[in-house]
Amino acid sequence: MSRNAISSLQTGDLQSKKVNKWAEARRQPFLLISSFLLLVYGIIFYYVPVLGWITAFQDYKPAKGFLKSQWVGFAKFQKLFANKTFFLAFRNTLCMGVINLVFHFVTAILFALILNEVRVMFAKKFVQTISYMPHFLSWIIVTAIVRDILASDGIVNEFLMNVCGRQMPIDFFAVKGYFWWIVAFANVWKETGWNAIIYLAAITSIDPSLYEAADMDGASRFQKVWYITLPSLRPTIMILLLINIGNVLNAGFELQYILGNDVISDVSKILDVFILDWGISQFDFSLGTAAGIFKSIIALILVCLGNWTAKKTGDERLF
Amino acid sequence: MKKKYGAGDIAFEVFLVVFLVVFVMVTLYPVINTLAISFNDGFDTITHRIHFIPHAWTLDNYKAVFAKESYRQAAIVTVARTFLGTAISLITNAILAYVISRKKFLFKKSFSIFWVITMYVNGGLIPTYIVFQKLHLTNSFWVYVIPGAVSAFNMLVIRNFMNAIPDSLEESAQIDGAGYFKIFVSIISPLCKPVYATITLFVAVYQWNAWFDAMIYNKMHDEYTVLQYELMKQLQTAMKSAGSVEGLKNSGTTITPTSIRAAATIVTMVPILFVYPFLQRYFVTGLTIGGVKE
Amino acid sequence: MKKTKIAAVLLTSVMSVSAMAGCTKTPGGTTAGTAAPGQTAQASGQIKEFSAFFAVPATTEINKDNEVQKIIAEKIGAKCNETWLAGQQASEAVGVFIASGEYPDFINGGDAMKALYEAGALVAFDDYIDKYPNIKEFFSEYEWSQFRQSDGKIYWMNPFENIYGADKTTTQNGEAFWIQARVLEWAKYPKIETLDDYFKVLEDYAKANPTTHDGKKNIPYTMLCEDWRYFCLENAPEFLDGYPNDGSCIVDVNTKKIVDYNTTPTAKRYFKKLNEEYAKGVIDTGAFTQTYDEYISKLSTGVVLGMCDQWWDFAYTVNDVFKTQNTEQYGYNYVPLGLTIDKGMENQWYTSGGTLNVSSGIAITKDCKDIEGAFKFIDDLLSQEIHDLRFWGVKDVDYKVDENGMFYRTEEMRKNAADPNWKTKHLCTYSYFPQWSGTSRDGKNAMMPAEQLSEFKDTLPEPVKKVFAAYGANTYIDLLGSVNKAGPWYPMYSYSNNMKTDTAGGTAWTKMGECKHAWLPKVVMSKDFEKTWNEYMEAYKACKPEDFVAEMQQELDKRIAAYEAASKK
Repeated sequence: MSRNAISSLQTGDLQSKKVNKWAEARRQPFLLISSFLLLVYGIIFYYVPVLGWITAFQDYKPAKGFLKSQWVGFAKFQKLFANKTFFLAFRNTLCMGVINLVFHFVTAILFALILNEVRVMFAKKFVQTISYMPHFLSWIIVTAIVRDILASDGIVNEFLMNVCGRQMPIDFFAVKGYFWWIVAFANVWKETGWNAIIYLAAITSIDPSLYEAADMDGASRFQKVWYITLPSLRPTIMILLLINIGNVLNAGFELQYILGNDVISDVSKILDVFILDWGISQFDFSLGTAAGIFKSIIALILVCLGNWTAKKTGDERLF
Repeated sequence: MKKKYGAGDIAFEVFLVVFLVVFVMVTLYPVINTLAISFNDGFDTITHRIHFIPHAWTLDNYKAVFAKESYRQAAIVTVARTFLGTAISLITNAILAYVISRKKFLFKKSFSIFWVITMYVNGGLIPTYIVFQKLHLTNSFWVYVIPGAVSAFNMLVIRNFMNAIPDSLEESAQIDGAGYFKIFVSIISPLCKPVYATITLFVAVYQWNAWFDAMIYNKMHDEYTVLQYELMKQLQTAMKSAGSVEGLKNSGTTITPTSIRAAATIVTMVPILFVYPFLQRYFVTGLTIGGVKE
Repeated sequence: MKKTKIAAVLLTSVMSVSAMAGCTKTPGGTTAGTAAPGQTAQASGQIKEFSAFFAVPATTEINKDNEVQKIIAEKIGAKCNETWLAGQQASEAVGVFIASGEYPDFINGGDAMKALYEAGALVAFDDYIDKYPNIKEFFSEYEWSQFRQSDGKIYWMNPFENIYGADKTTTQNGEAFWIQARVLEWAKYPKIETLDDYFKVLEDYAKANPTTHDGKKNIPYTMLCEDWRYFCLENAPEFLDGYPNDGSCIVDVNTKKIVDYNTTPTAKRYFKKLNEEYAKGVIDTGAFTQTYDEYISKLSTGVVLGMCDQWWDFAYTVNDVFKTQNTEQYGYNYVPLGLTIDKGMENQWYTSGGTLNVSSGIAITKDCKDIEGAFKFIDDLLSQEIHDLRFWGVKDVDYKVDENGMFYRTEEMRKNAADPNWKTKHLCTYSYFPQWSGTSRDGKNAMMPAEQLSEFKDTLPEPVKKVFAAYGANTYIDLLGSVNKAGPWYPMYSYSNNMKTDTAGGTAWTKMGECKHAWLPKVVMSKDFEKTWNEYMEAYKACKPEDFVAEMQQELDKRIAAYEAASKK
C-alpha cells in the first residue's frame, strides 16, 4: 500500500492528450479561482520577501530603505567569504546536519526493526506510544532537559561519578568535542520513535509469504532482516532521504542558540545563529541576507542533486 | 508450529527486554524528573537530589506559575493560535493539495514547482519582517496564523494521500454533474480523514510549540505572548540572570528559578501530550499513506 | 454536526482573540502606533500610556492592573508599559528594532546604545534638560558632559547608582573577603587586618570545629572561578594593595598612572598564600571546577567559612536559604572584612558616592509621539512623592511613619515586600527609570528601604547583630573601615568593559583574561609555586599587557582632562 502511495509522489504531468484548454478551464472555475488566491498568497508570503535578497548587494541601512541604500555589488559576499566565523558556521551546520541525518535514519530503522521483533503486542504498543512522546515536546523544553541532564549536578555526571568512579564532573558544554554529539543525541531522543512510524508501517505491509519461505530455508532472524526487510524498505528510505537532504542545512536552532557559549562557539555556531549574530546583532543586515542567500542556494543544489541521483539510480523522485 | 529456541535466540530475547526497558527509562526519565521537581519545594531541590519522587511536596511552584498574569495570557493566546491556526491551515492546505492533485488542472506542474521552491528558499528574517510590517501583521495576533497558513510540506503530504484515491470516484461524480468544489467537499474530503488528522496534529504541534514569532514580531506586546516564549524566558532566568543583582533579589520566597521552570514546563507540555494518544490511530495511517514524514 | 463543532471552535477562538485585541490595542491600529501606544486613550481618559523596552532580562514583570502603577498614573497622568529582554541577546533585540525602524517610546539598549544613536533613533536631551528640574538635578554639569556623543549632544542618562544627599549605604554590595559570624564569635571577635590573619582564624576554627551543626564537614575557604565570575579569584590584589574596584587596573593616585595589578608583588604574595593554603588542604579542592550553581548550593548549606566575592553574587540567595531553613541561628551568615596585604594600610573595598557608567542608559526615541510628555514622565518619577511610591510603596500598606517622620515596616510588610506575587500585583518600581539612593529630600529617611538604618538593623540575624556590636559597627560598611579616595576617573571598568578585539589594547585585554583563566588555577595548585608563577608570568607577558595599559592610560588622561575642564567652569 505504501509503495503505491510513494510512487504517486511524482507529479504526473499534464495529460499528454491535447485537450481544448478553454473548454477545460470553463469546467474548473473552483480550481482556477482557488489556485489564483493561493498564488497571490504564495507570492506575498514566500516570494516578495525573496526580493529582499537585493539588500545583499547593497550596504543596506534601514533608515534609508531599499531605494536609497548604497549599491555595493558583491562586496558583502566578499566580506562574508573572508569571514572565518562564517566558514566555521557553515562547517558546523553541515556537519551537524549530516550527523543528524545519518543518526535519524540509522536509529529510526534500527528501532523499527527491533520493535518489530517484539511479539508481545501489549509491550510493543506501549513502547511505541512512549517512543513518540518526545516528538511532541518543544525544542525549548528539550533544550532545558538536555541542559539539566548534562549539568555538573545532572544525572549523567552523577552516574559517571558514583558508578564509573570519576572524580570531577564533566562540564559537557565546555568541551568542543562533545557538542555535535550532544545535538545528535537530543535529536535521536526526540525523534527516533516518531521517525520509526513510517518504517514500522512499511514493515507490516511486507508480504508475509516472503518470511515463510525464508523460514523454510532455515534463515536466521538476522538473515531475514538483512535479505527481506531491509530491501523492502529501500523505496521508503530513498524518498525520505531525498526529502531530508535539502534540509541538511536546517540543523536545528534552539539547541545551538541556547546552549552555545563562548568556549565552544567554534563548534556550536550554526548558520542561522551566525545570521542573527552578524546580520542583526552587529547591524550588518546586508551581510545577514547574503549568508541567507548562500544557505538557500546550497539547499536547492542539494535537493536537485538528490533528485538527479534518484533519477539515475531509478529510485523515486521528489519532483 | 513448534520451534526450538537456541542460545542465540534466548540471548536475543534478553537483549530485547533490556533494550526496551532502557529505552523507556531514557525516554521517560527527563519528564518524570521534571514532574518531580515541579512538585518539590524550591530550596529543598537545591539541597537534595530529586529523581523520581518529590522529597518535600508542595504546590507552590504551580501556584506561582498560575499567579503570573503573563502565563495566563500566554495560555489563552496559545490555545487560540493552536485552534485557529490549525483550522485555517488545514482548510488552505487541503484546498491547495486538492487543486494540485487534480490530473486535469491546467497549471498542475508549474503550480507544484511554485510551491516546492518555497520549501527551500526564503527571504530571510529582515525582509520577511518588513513584508509583515507593511501588511500590519507585526504587533498583532494574526502573525501567528496567517503567514504559516500554507506550507508546501503539509500540502505534499495531503496531495500524496489524495493521489492514492482512485480517479474513478472523481470521474463518476463528474458524470453525475458534480463540480470540482462539490467533489472536494463530499467525495475527496471524507476519504481524507486520516491525512487531515495527521496534518491537524502537525500544525497543532507546530502552533503549540512555536515561540520565535512571538519574540520577533510581538516583542512589545505581552498580550500576544505564548507559552513557549514564557518558558524560554524562564529558562533564561534560570541560566543567566541568576547572577545579576536583581535576578537574585527576585527569588524572594522558596520558589527558585529551577522549580518554577519545572512547573512551567509541565504546564506547557501536558495539554499536547494528552492529545496525541487519541490521534495516534489516525496519524499512523495518515503518515503512511501520505508517504512522507517530518 | 461536524460543521457546527468546527464553527464553534472557530468562534471561540476568534472571540478570545478579539477580546484580547479589544482591551489592549489601539482601535483601528493603522497608525503603526502599535509600537507606540503613547496615544492610546484608556478608559480613564487622560492617562498617557508610554511603552519602554529594556535590553536586560526582567527582574519582576508587573501585572497589567498593578496597584501602585495605577496610583502613580492617577497622580502624574501617565504610565509606562515595560517590556524586557527575553530569549535574545541585547544587541539582537536592538538590531530588530533598528531593522524595522519602529521603536518604543523609551529604550535602554544596554551596550547597543551607540548603534541606536547611529541609526538616528534617539531624541537629544539637550533642549529639554533645563525644563525639567528633577532631570537636570540628576547629574552635575560634568557628569552630563560625559554622556555627550560625537555630535556633542546627550541622548541618554544612566538611571542607577546615584546618591542624593548623604550616603545611606548599609551593605557592602561589592567585593570583600567574607567570613561567617560563627567563626568570629568562636575566635572572640579578634582584629583581622591581613590575609594572614584571615586564613589563620579560618584554619583554627576549622581545626576546633570540624563540622556544622548537622554534621557536615566544614570547608574553610572556597573560591568561584567559573567564567566571568573568576573575579572572585583574580582581582583581590588591587584591593589588598589598598585600591578601589577600578576593575581592570589600579590607578596610582600620585603619578596618575595605570598600574597592572596582575604582576605586582602583592599579587604574587596573594597567590603564594593561596598556594600554601591549598597545599595545607584549607582551600576547597573542588574550587576550580565548581559551577556557580554548585557554589551557591555549597554556601547555602553553611559549610563554607569564608570566601572572596561580591555581595550581590551570593548573598540574596544564600541569605534567603539561611532564613527559610532556619539556620541563621548557627551564625552561617557572612560579614565582610577590609583586608590588606600588610598591617596598618588603608583600604578602599567600599567606594561611596555612586558609580557613573556613561556607556548606557535610558533614551527617548524618535517614534515617541509626545516627547515633552516622556521627559515629564521621567521628571515626575524623580519627584520625592513618586519616588517614595516607587520604592517604599503605599503609606500604611507598605510602610508606616512614626512620630518623628521616620519610615518603618512591620514584619508583615517586610514579608510582602519580598514576595514575588506582591511585587507583581502591587509594587511598581519602574526599576530601569532614573532613581536615587542616599537620603530622601526630607533629610531623614533613605531613598531606598534597604538603606533605612532601622529597617536594616531589624532584619539582621542575631549572630550578625552580635558581630556588629562587638566591632562597634552599624552597617556592613562600618565593618570594612574603608576610606574614600576614589578619583573622578573612577571606575575605569566602565571603559574596559566595552573594549573589543578591534584595538590592540582590547585584544590584549581579551588574551590576558584567557591567560589568567588558564594559569591561575595551576598557580594555586602547583607543587612548585615559584616555577609555575614564572611560567605564568612568561605566558602573561606574551599577551602584551602593555598595549592594554597604554589604552587605559589614554582613557584615564582623557577623563582627568575632562574633569579639570568641567571644574574650571
